[in-house]
Amino acid sequence: MQRELVHLGNGAHALAIQILGNSEDAADAVHDAFATALARPESYDSRRGALKPWFLRVVRNRCIDLLRKRRPTGIDADLLADPGTAPDEQLENRQRDLSLKKALAAISPEKRQIVVLRDYLDLSYAEIAMVLDVAPGTVMSRLHRARMDLKKELEGCDE
Amino acid sequence: MNEPNGSTTDTHVGERLSGYLDGELTQQEVQGVDLHLSDCQECTGLLDELQDLRRRMGQSGLSQKYEDEWRESMDDTGVQMTRGVGWLLVIGVMLIVAAVVIFQFIMDPGIGGFMKFLISAFYLGLAALFVSVLRQRLIERKTDKYKDVEI
Repeated sequence: MQRELVHLGNGAHALAIQILGNSEDAADAVHDAFATALARPESYDSRRGALKPWFLRVVRNRCIDLLRKRRPTGIDADLLADPGTAPDEQLENRQRDLSLKKALAAISPEKRQIVVLRDYLDLSYAEIAMVLDVAPGTVMSRLHRARMDLKKELEGCDE
Repeated sequence: MNEPNGSTTDTHVGERLSGYLDGELTQQEVQGVDLHLSDCQECTGLLDELQDLRRRMGQSGLSQKYEDEWRESMDDTGVQMTRGVGWLLVIGVMLIVAAVVIFQFIMDPGIGGFMKFLISAFYLGLAALFVSVLRQRLIERKTDKYKDVEI
């Protein structure tokens, strides 16, 4: 399980950044989720679905706990970008992504999450419903609205 | 209503365009969207835009950490402390047992001085070889940049 969780770290971090708004808090949330998952591995039941959506749900719940504890703050587009440890050749890609991150910052956290879960983490609608704890039948409409909002914001950022 | 970007409408496919893009529609729904797209430039253009958006999201670097960072993150202080205490206990008991055995060996009047010298030299030689190999492995471990590479 530990090895599989390591591979999920970056995806979970990307989701946590969308919820918490900065890379450091997001890394802390993922770290806490690792500790929770490894302390109680029996809480994951493989018959109920894949490890990825289960772990992302643990991460999301941890992020919501952290959000409840801290004061509400505005989201800065630069904070949605993970400064990471990118080598020089990735700087160009980061610049290209900046407008996308600004557009993401301009839409609501709920919409950011659903777009990231589908288009960045490649989860199915059923898995997205599990992570977000919403009815599976509502995923398509939520996702479509989120994509339309993101597209609209992106048009403004690209200009 | 002629807006293709809202929920399902009479004249456009609406949210089903996202379901179509993601392969989440039934065969019947796919056929309906295909039929609509063959006759609606507005929705075809929107589908292209959503495909571009999805591709752009997929290629974005929303998280740029290395897996090693997560691996290290899992080895939290609790685990490291437990591991440290375990090693300390094992090494401590081994040293005490070795000291008792050496003391009994030295004090044993049944073994002659020359024999004690030979046996001591043999075990000291083994210990020197062990320390030498251990030292080399520790130095290699510190400088080997591929030690965390998974095969």
